[in-house]
Amino acid sequence: MIDVHTHPVLVQEIMDRDGDMLRKVREVFDLQNRPQPLETFFLQMEVCGVDRSVLLPIDCTTSRGCKIYSNEQIAQLVEMGEGKFIGFASVDPQLGTAPDDLESAVKDLGLAGLKLAPGIQEFRPDQPSVFPVYERASELGIPVMMHSGLSWEPGSRLEPCRPLLLERVAVKFPELRICIAHFGWPWIMETAALMMKYPNIYADTSCLYADTPMEFLSFTFSSQIPTTWIERTLRNQVMFGSNYPRIETVKMVDAVRSLGFSRGAERLIFEDNAKKFIGLGEVSD
Amino acid sequence: MKVHFEELGIQSKREMELINITDEVKGVVERSGIKNGIVNVITMHTTTGITVNEGIGCLEEDIVDTLERLAPEGLDYHHARYLDFDGRLGVNAHCHLRSMITGMHTTFAVKDGEVVRGGRQNIYFVETDGPLYRKYVVQVMGE
Repeated sequence: MIDVHTHPVLVQEIMDRDGDMLRKVREVFDLQNRPQPLETFFLQMEVCGVDRSVLLPIDCTTSRGCKIYSNEQIAQLVEMGEGKFIGFASVDPQLGTAPDDLESAVKDLGLAGLKLAPGIQEFRPDQPSVFPVYERASELGIPVMMHSGLSWEPGSRLEPCRPLLLERVAVKFPELRICIAHFGWPWIMETAALMMKYPNIYADTSCLYADTPMEFLSFTFSSQIPTTWIERTLRNQVMFGSNYPRIETVKMVDAVRSLGFSRGAERLIFEDNAKKFIGLGEVSD
Repeated sequence: MKVHFEELGIQSKREMELINITDEVKGVVERSGIKNGIVNVITMHTTTGITVNEGIGCLEEDIVDTLERLAPEGLDYHHARYLDFDGRLGVNAHCHLRSMITGMHTTFAVKDGEVVRGGRQNIYFVETDGPLYRKYVVQVMGE
């Protein structure tokens, strides 16, 4: 199983090396949990059968004056993870160096994808100045995880996080694999429509904004859109994502399983689609 | 009167589990040098507990099962909402309630430098929302 959406923002080993990181996490990311040793991350994965987790940083140098974490710190964690982690890079799309920064993160640090967050990085996904970043990602053959929909970070606005703003990107770069994170909630219907029209658009299940994981996913994937849309039509583009540590991985695994997908659809959601999205080679039969 | 205080860390490995900490508590009493008095064992979290029971696996399983029955996950809890002071949703009301049932501390007498326990009494740290790295304190008071 692969979890495509985690934020390693409270790893004690990184806090020990970067004395200002906890303040940045508290202020910018607005996550107040206590830091935990890396072993807790591994155990959170182990108790629910997740073999690999995608680590997502955020480079908000222009908008917030910091990186949580830097690409180098993500590369360090990947090394410490001994095969359990897949590191994505983040670059500041407001900087002209962003395409080259991305290339360096992929080629020099071995990172496997790009994370962008329009709300906290303060850009619009469809603004032409960001297109060179998409172009470089497409040339490098790496996927883009795009924060979409509501986010809890202070000052992060909803409007630039509308999934529909990704349509121009999907059209311009048909080879670029783009994930609408959090299924773009509350714009679930918009996300579903984009996925139906553009096969290079994916979405992850890390969508939890009220109630419990089971209640919220049940509402989102049976009332907002029918469960059958995922089972029958979107089954090749939906990936499991937890958003750990804003929520425990096992609770999101249980919530996705409670939706009652077929075994075939579960295999796609929990593993095969992530392999295809990230480019990890052939999927299992 | 002398007071000896230690804060101990513990890594839980499952969502719910009982971890036998009897030897750790005895170790603190020994290090304290206190011969006669009391020892308090107190958890520092609201989703963990401290309890005392017989140290055998079947009972440990029964205690976990009973806590799950008494405070089931998935009921209509008020806590299941976004907590703005925490940056997370409160999806663990059942864990808080299980912790409340076990209680947050225990006390034993210390006599001649030993923790005075019945032959079957073991001290457990109870995890209800793991896996997490946790803390508890052991305070020895006496002479």
